[in-house]
Amino acid sequence: MQAQVEQWLKEGNVDIFIGYKNVDGHVIPHFFTNENIDEVKDLVVGQAHYSLEKIATKVAADHPDMKIGILLARSCNQQALHVLYGWNQLNPNQIQTIEAYEASSDPAFDLEQPEPVSSYKQKMGLEKSMAPKDVEAFDQQQRFSRWMYEFSKCIKCYGCRNICPVCFCKECSLEHKDLVRAGNLPPEIPIFHLVRAVHMAGRCIDCGLCEEACPADIPLRLLYRKVDEIVVDVFDYETGTSPDQSPFSVLGEKVVLDPVPINE
Amino acid sequence: MDYKFVPSVCPYCGTGCGVLFEVIDGKLVGTLPNKTHPVNEGKLCIKGWNMHEFVNSFMRLKQPLVKTFGRFMKTEWDEAIKITADRFKEIIEKHGPDSIGVLVSAKITNEENYLAQKFARAVIGTNNVDHCARL
Amino acid sequence: MAGLAAAFGSGAMTNSISGFEDAGCIFIIGTNTTACHPLIARRIFRAKEKGAKLIVADPRNIQLTRFADVAVHHRLGSDVALLNGMMHVIIKNGWHDQKYIEERTEDYEALEKVVAAYTPEKAAGITGVPAEDIERMAELYAKNSPAPLLYAMGITQHTTGVDNVKSCCNLAMLCGNVGIASAGVNPLRGQNNVQGACDMGGLPNVMTGYQPVNSPEVIEKFSTAWGRPLSDKPGMTITDMIPAMLDGKLKGLFVIGENPKLSDPDWNHLNHALKKLDFLVVQELFLSETAQVADVVLSAASSAEKDGTFTNTERRCMKINKAIEPIGNTLPDWEIISRLSTAMGYEMKYDHPEEIFNEMTALTPKSYAGMTYDRLGIDGLQWPCPDQNHPGTPYLHKDGFARGKGKFHGIEYKDPAELPDKDYPFFLTTGRMFAHFHTGTMTRVSRHLDVEQTTGYVEINPKDAEVLDICENDILVLSSRRGEMEVPARITRAVPPGTLFLPIHFGENPPNVLTDSTAVDPLAKIPEFKVSAVQVRKLNLEFVENTG
Repeated sequence: MQAQVEQWLKEGNVDIFIGYKNVDGHVIPHFFTNENIDEVKDLVVGQAHYSLEKIATKVAADHPDMKIGILLARSCNQQALHVLYGWNQLNPNQIQTIEAYEASSDPAFDLEQPEPVSSYKQKMGLEKSMAPKDVEAFDQQQRFSRWMYEFSKCIKCYGCRNICPVCFCKECSLEHKDLVRAGNLPPEIPIFHLVRAVHMAGRCIDCGLCEEACPADIPLRLLYRKVDEIVVDVFDYETGTSPDQSPFSVLGEKVVLDPVPINE
Repeated sequence: MDYKFVPSVCPYCGTGCGVLFEVIDGKLVGTLPNKTHPVNEGKLCIKGWNMHEFVNSFMRLKQPLVKTFGRFMKTEWDEAIKITADRFKEIIEKHGPDSIGVLVSAKITNEENYLAQKFARAVIGTNNVDHCARL
Repeated sequence: MAGLAAAFGSGAMTNSISGFEDAGCIFIIGTNTTACHPLIARRIFRAKEKGAKLIVADPRNIQLTRFADVAVHHRLGSDVALLNGMMHVIIKNGWHDQKYIEERTEDYEALEKVVAAYTPEKAAGITGVPAEDIERMAELYAKNSPAPLLYAMGITQHTTGVDNVKSCCNLAMLCGNVGIASAGVNPLRGQNNVQGACDMGGLPNVMTGYQPVNSPEVIEKFSTAWGRPLSDKPGMTITDMIPAMLDGKLKGLFVIGENPKLSDPDWNHLNHALKKLDFLVVQELFLSETAQVADVVLSAASSAEKDGTFTNTERRCMKINKAIEPIGNTLPDWEIISRLSTAMGYEMKYDHPEEIFNEMTALTPKSYAGMTYDRLGIDGLQWPCPDQNHPGTPYLHKDGFARGKGKFHGIEYKDPAELPDKDYPFFLTTGRMFAHFHTGTMTRVSRHLDVEQTTGYVEINPKDAEVLDICENDILVLSSRRGEMEVPARITRAVPPGTLFLPIHFGENPPNVLTDSTAVDPLAKIPEFKVSAVQVRKLNLEFVENTG
């Protein structure tokens, strides 16, 4: 992996490579360039995942000609790239990738996961990273009250949106006062979370970063998995498996957005 | 080429969440939570997520200002420092060091707080040092 | 922090944020944690989902109230009565930790004597909380160890602030909750480096690490290190400085990174005082309300533009790192102070904040001595960290209190300085909302935060709104004995009938027009921001339209 990146940089296949580096015991994203090529030996993969694709869109927004290398540490990274290509947020010709799914076996970089929240959540039948079928045992009323409980913990950090590799709209519906009332805590529920869920249809690649970023441990992944399931059932579209457009591209977003990557 | 991720700490409340500043081409373009930080474990609140916005705000002061005849005039550092030093010295001479107060800050670093109270105590010569944490 | 220091010998949060997750019962009083310390609220949610009990006492309906096993809305300023009532119940039922009290504490009799009179019924009469709820709170807190108590400005910003804190300490010691993991008495600091500012000697009576200025050895040590004679006379607190300005005793003021004009009680009073100064220097990121009235404004660099350390509420000293060059012609605060000092004839020459840090740690033996930039890394270290091999301290008072034995105080309830009456029938309390911070200088310029809340507002209960014929966003005139202000109404059940809530972030609707600068805690000098009496009327809009 390191040798490949070094070669790419030297030969000019990529101008910049986005990977990870260990800083004081923390594996954090790092830009490798020809200027710091001696650091390439420190390129690592850890259990901590950041959305390197989203970072790439920010680089590409200012430098549409820059050749960008990205480390793919999980399969969802490739899916995220497909979605971003499909929505013109990244140009596939600009991107080189290295897959390093296996490299995470070094125990030194294993992320110490917070221990799972057990009794209460399990008693209520909901844990993290659940599949939609797991909750079908519950009746409508139970499901509704459970979701309302989860949503009422929301501290409106927008972390689910901010961390999301495929959230890039210039104007976000979550900040639209006619859809979600502003200035309240918890936010207006369930509408805040449902607006986001609807917008995840045909976008969500089930990377789980939203759930990881949620300070209130809301099982967001389950919510978006359900939405994705509907997209598969109704449109036979599997998000992120190819750079093909999602069936929802006719819904307006595509028309509104400039066909160039967007940067703040 | 100035592209980097800089680990730091959120400057808002007292929780002290670990963040990563995203620097692209020498510009601060975003803030990410540090996934493995012992305080926040990869999560942030709305303020932390948007920290770069206040840093980049067009409202930031970009130059020292001196008020002359009721209006602020932009000035250079040497001038601003000299005026301040001269006025403080004048007040100390006329009214003694205890006629000056220094309000240090819960927003600046430990090093700066240390220097500020050292400035009050050793340079001005007063213990009139406090901060707004009472408020 | 005077209350904590009196009881335990150290004025800092006793335990660690992550430890709250493993608590048996969390007691929240006077902190709207989800809005003000969201990433601490996370630990409360997690504790709850691991099976902990949650007690929430707040005059308002805060977000955490929804998750509480017992939630009570005690009348503003009645904290001592509530806590005494709980302790009465605990002692009466023998739920207190007798062994701990005997071995680790002193003056228990003083407490026992006072709380004997605070039957749940008496406490209910003062607080408005049903006696059964007080009994239930007491039982949950006493029987589910470890039980951390968390508080913030809702406890301290009162004329009885120190009493309130001492009562919190009493309760915690009574049940053996100090000196163990996942428990303790935990003031949540409102600003990123309040703890650090205090630790660094940003107080009129102590040097770094709380070394008192009136101790000859301390003065000797620092004047040798700094090469200057030093005063051993404690200085003025900010609350003392305001009258001193008005009397002409304080002529010059150097304000660094603070906006007292918006954060101080009684805006009109302070405004007047600042005008009396001969010379006001403000060192700031923005042209804040205070900077606008300064003679010289020194443009400072933000925390993203410099190196240094912050100490968070759990005493964790962490490094911040320079990400970008200072914007415009700004300088880091340490450089400005060094230059100013040098210009005044005392040379301060530092190439990097690390040199300042090392100078400070050498003078601060008990808490910071074992820290170096290398050791801090990203995780930081929690003080006390007295030597290079010390791993830092996740919770205080493990083997003994900093002052030797924990001290109980018998505290009688006292009314707030002002209670509603015929002329000013509403309670007014102040605080923060989730999207903004302190005086708003940093957050109101941020697009994503401004979207959440652009203007000031006052929260009023639907019942009161109905009686006064108020609709959402009607402009209300609030007046107190100090002044009056206009502010749009927000109708919400987040406040109980008879109480109004005003966020502190909005300079155009400054709450401290209404609050009282003379009502301060006698010891801590913290003003009573949390309780004022006001009257409310609807602004006659037609009048405004006709003249406009």
